[in-house]
Amino acid sequence: MNPTIPLLRGVQAINWNRIEDEKDLEVWDRLTSNFWLPEKVPLSNDIPSWRSLRRPEQLMTTRVFTGLTMLDTIQGTVGAVSLIPDARTPHEEAVYTNIAFMESVHAKSYSSIFSTLISTEEIDEAFRWSEENEFLQRKARIVLDFYYGDDPEKRKVASTMLESFLFYSGFYAPMYWSSHARLTNTADLIRLIIRDEAVHGYYIGYKYQQALRDASPERRQELKEYTFELLYELYDNEESYTEDLYDPLGLTEDVKMFLRYNANKALMNLGYEALFPKKATAVSPAILAALSPNADENHDFFSGSGSSYVMGRAEDTEDEDWAF
Amino acid sequence: METTVVTDVGTEPVTQPDYHALNALLNLYDENGHIQFEADRQAAHQYFLQHVNRNTVFFHSLREKLDHLVEEGYYEPEVLARYDFDFIKSLFKRAYAVKFRFPTFMGAFKYYTSYTLKTFDGTRYLERFEDRVCMVALTLAAGDRTLAEQVVDEIMAGRFQPATPTFLNAGKASRGELVSCFLLRVEDNMESIARAINSSLQLSKRGGGVALCLTNLREAGAPIKRIQNQSSGVIPVMKLLEDSFSYANQLGARQGAGAVYLNVHHPDILAFLDTKRENADEKIRIKTLSLGVVVPDITFELARDDEDMYLFSPYDVERIYGTPFSEISITEKYREMVDDKRIAKKKISARKLFQTIAEIQFESGYPYMVFEDTVNRANPIAGRISMSNLCSEILQVSAPSTYREDLSFETIGKDISCNLGSLNIAKAMDSPDLGRTVEVAVRALSAVSDQSNIACAPSIERGNQLSHAIGLGQMNLHGYLARERIHYGSPEALDFTNLYFYTITFHAIAASCRLARERGQSFAGFENSDYANGSYFRKYIEGTWEPRTPRVAELFEQAGVQLPTPEDWQRLAEEVSQHGLYNQNLQAIPPTGSISYINHSTSSIHPIVAKVEIRKEGKIGRVYYPAPYMTNDNLEYYRDAYEIGPEAIIDTYAAATQHVDQGLSLTLFFPDTVTTRDLNRAQIHAWRKGIKTLYYVRLRQLALQGTEVDNCVSCML
Repeated sequence: MNPTIPLLRGVQAINWNRIEDEKDLEVWDRLTSNFWLPEKVPLSNDIPSWRSLRRPEQLMTTRVFTGLTMLDTIQGTVGAVSLIPDARTPHEEAVYTNIAFMESVHAKSYSSIFSTLISTEEIDEAFRWSEENEFLQRKARIVLDFYYGDDPEKRKVASTMLESFLFYSGFYAPMYWSSHARLTNTADLIRLIIRDEAVHGYYIGYKYQQALRDASPERRQELKEYTFELLYELYDNEESYTEDLYDPLGLTEDVKMFLRYNANKALMNLGYEALFPKKATAVSPAILAALSPNADENHDFFSGSGSSYVMGRAEDTEDEDWAF
Repeated sequence: METTVVTDVGTEPVTQPDYHALNALLNLYDENGHIQFEADRQAAHQYFLQHVNRNTVFFHSLREKLDHLVEEGYYEPEVLARYDFDFIKSLFKRAYAVKFRFPTFMGAFKYYTSYTLKTFDGTRYLERFEDRVCMVALTLAAGDRTLAEQVVDEIMAGRFQPATPTFLNAGKASRGELVSCFLLRVEDNMESIARAINSSLQLSKRGGGVALCLTNLREAGAPIKRIQNQSSGVIPVMKLLEDSFSYANQLGARQGAGAVYLNVHHPDILAFLDTKRENADEKIRIKTLSLGVVVPDITFELARDDEDMYLFSPYDVERIYGTPFSEISITEKYREMVDDKRIAKKKISARKLFQTIAEIQFESGYPYMVFEDTVNRANPIAGRISMSNLCSEILQVSAPSTYREDLSFETIGKDISCNLGSLNIAKAMDSPDLGRTVEVAVRALSAVSDQSNIACAPSIERGNQLSHAIGLGQMNLHGYLARERIHYGSPEALDFTNLYFYTITFHAIAASCRLARERGQSFAGFENSDYANGSYFRKYIEGTWEPRTPRVAELFEQAGVQLPTPEDWQRLAEEVSQHGLYNQNLQAIPPTGSISYINHSTSSIHPIVAKVEIRKEGKIGRVYYPAPYMTNDNLEYYRDAYEIGPEAIIDTYAAATQHVDQGLSLTLFFPDTVTTRDLNRAQIHAWRKGIKTLYYVRLRQLALQGTEVDNCVSCML
C-alpha cells in the first residue's frame, strides 16, 4: 500500500510575499502572536480553591477536563491535520499546522491542570471515565468519521462544529467557577484556549464559505442539509452528555442554553442563519461576560497572570526616536 | 440559625436573582444600546439581601458586641482601652449617621470578601463597613479623641482611604502589619542573601509586598574567593525568592508578592529579562515575581548615539571603589569604569537592550523601569536611591547592613518601608477644608509608622524609626475630571493636575512640620536635606504657580480651595527650617487597586482601563465595575487609557511628578497592534519629561472581527 500523499503534490516553496488570501496572513499573525504555553499560568494558586469544592463538584470538573482533553487530542492529531490536503493556498496549510500544534498545547494544558490539582490515581480514574462514557465516545466517533471520510467540505463542517460548539459544554464549568471566584487561574488558562478556539472555528468556517462560493446550487443545498443534520445529531448527543456531567449539580438547564448559544455561533461561522431562537439561548450573563475573548481584563500582581499578554512585534528604533 | 458557609457561593439557591449575573449585565448593552447601570445597583442590593444580611452575626447593643469581640480574641483590647465607652459609642453613632451605602456591587463584594472581620471558621461576618472604619480610627488615633473623630469623618466622607494593610488589619487581634510596602537591599555575600530570603518570608507573612535590589550581587561566572567561574549569578537567587513568596501568605488573606530590581549595566541583565520569556525553560522561568530595571541617563545617551553599552562586574566594582555597585552613579563613572582594565566587562547594543525590554513587556508586562538619575536629582534627602518597590512608587535612600557568620547583625543598615493611604481627588475638592483633610491623612499615616514594630527585620525597623516615611497618594483623577466634564489629558486637565498636587504638597509639608513642632522631633538627617537648607522651596517661592485656564481657576474658586502664594511658601520654608519635618518622605502615588473599588473612585491618577472594567483577582473571581460618576449621558468623558494613549498619560504624570517627593506608579497602555518601537518611544518620552518610574505595560487585544461576544460593552470601542 502506498497512498499518494497530497501534501507533496508538486513541490512548491511557500512564498509569504505572494498572499492569495489576505485572511491567511491575518489569521496567521493573530495565532502566532497569541502563542502561549500552560507553564505561564500559576495554576498552583488554585489549590486552596480546589480543596474548597465539594466532592461532586470536583468530580464534574475533572470529567469535564478529560472530555476536553479527548476533543483536543482529536483536533490536534487528526482534525486540523486532515484539513491540510484540502487547503486552497499554501498559506492555509501553514495556518492548519499552527492550529494542529496549538491543539496539542491545549491537550497538554489539561494535563497541567490535573497534575497540579489531583492525584495520579484520580487522573487515571478520570481518563478511564472518558474512555467508558458512551456520549463522549459517540461524539468523538461522529466527528472522526468525517475527518477520515473523503468530503473536504464535510470535514470543515465537522471541524467547525468541534471548535465552535462541542468544546463549550466543557468550557461552561471553568467559566462558571470563575464567575463565582473559584479556580480563577484555571479559568485564565481556559480563556487562553477559548481565545484560540474562537479564531480556529472562525477561520475554518470562513474557508468553508469560500468553498461554498464555488460550488453548484445542488452541492450547496446538499451541504446545508448535511450541516443541519449533523448539528441535530451532535446536539442530541450533547444534551445527554451535559445531563451526565451537570445533573448532580443542578446546572444542566443553564448549560443547555449555553450549548444552543454556541450551536448558533458555529452555524454563523459556517455562514448559516441561527437555528435556536433568542429565548432558547439566554445564557447567564455571568458566563457570557466571562467568555469575552478580548484580552482586556485588569488584574494585579497578587493574582494570576491573566490572559492578556501577547507576543510582540519587534521593530528597531531609528535615530529620529532618539533625538534629544 | 443559618450555617451557610460565607465563601461557599456555589451552593446558593438559584430561585432568587443571581447577583453575579446581575453584575455581569453591566458588561452587556441593553436592547437600546445603553449600559445597564441599574442592574449593578440591584446586584449590590441583592448581595446584601441574599448574602450579607443573612450571614452577619447580630448583637443587641454595641457594648455586647465589643465585649464579645474582645473576649473571644477578635479585637485588640488595648485599642479600646484607651477610650471610655461613651466616647466609643458616640464615635460609632457618628459613623452610622452618615448612612453609607456601597454604590457598586464590586465595592460591597470586595469589602466583604477581603476586608471585614469574620468569625474564626470564616462562616459569618462580624463587622459592617462603619465598624471597620471606627476600629481603624480608634487604632490610629491611639487615645486622641479629636483625631479619632477626624479620621472617621474623612474616611466616611470618602475623602481619605487608608491602604489595604491598614484598613484590613487595624484593631484586629490576629492580624498582619499595617504597613504596605518593604524594600530590602541585598549585598554581595551569602549572609546578606540568606537574610534577604528570611526577611522576605517574615515580611510576606505579615502582609505587604517586598522588593529587593539585586544590583550588588556578582554576576554568573564571576570568581568566588578569586577562583574564576564560580558564581551562578542573580537567577538562582530570584528562584529562591519566588518560591519564598509563594510559600508565605498573610493568614491566607493574600499571597505574598515580591519584586526584584537590577541595574541594566549588571552583566546578568539579559538573563534577568529572559526569565519572563514565554518559552523560557522551567529552570529559569519566573512566573510570579515582578521584575524592575534601573536605567541611568548614560544608557539613553549610548542608545541615542547607537553605541554599545558596557556591563560591569559588581564584584570588581566593589573591590576597586570600596563601595557597593548600587552606590555608584554609573552615568558619572561610566567612562572611567570602561577604561579601568581591572573591572571585568562585556558589551551589548544599547538600542537592542531597549528593544529586548520592550519585547519582554509585550509578553509579560514586565519589567518596571526606574530612571535612576532623574530620581536622584529630584531627591531632597541626602543619600542615594537605587531601587523602587513592588508598585514602583516608593523612592527612598537606604544604607547597607553587615552580618556575622551566624547571620546576626554586625551593623544594622537602613532599609525601607512605607505606609500608604490615598485621597479621593473629587471628594477632597469637595472638602470643607482641604488643608485639614490633608493634615488628618498625614497624621493617620504617621500613626501607622509610629505604631509599627517590625522586629523580624531589624534594618526595616531601624529605617522606619529614623525616617517615619509615609506615602500620601491620590486617586479618582479621571472620575473627578469627567464629573467636571473635562477630558483627561486636555490642557485643563494638565493645569488642574499641576495645581492640585502643588496645593497638596504645601499642606502635607505644613502638616509634617506641625508634627515635628508638637513632638520636638524631626526625621534623622533632616539637617542635611534640601528642606533644611531651603533649596527645596526655591522653585515655589520664585516661580509662578497659577491657573493657566479659566476653567481651572473656576474649579478652585468654586471649591473654596486657596492656592498657596509665594509668601505662604516663604513662611512655610522658615517654619520648616526652624522646627523641621517629622516625615522624611511624604507623598507617593500608588496604583490603588482594591481600595479604589471600595471608595468608588478611578485608580490612582490613571485614566480608566474600560468604561466597564473587568476585574479579576484570586479572591473574588471575575467582577464588573463601572467608572464613577458615569451615566449614559456623559460617556464621552470616559475615553479609556488605550484610546487616550501614552503621551497624554505621561504628560499628566509629569505635571504631578514635579511636586511629589517619591514616585508615582505609571502604567502605559497600548493596543496590540503597536511594535516594540512604539513602547521604546513612549519610554524615551517619559524619561525626557522627567518621569521617575514606569510601572506595568498593558496591551489590549481586541477579538478578531467575527469572534466577539454579542453586545459586550468591553468588546466595543
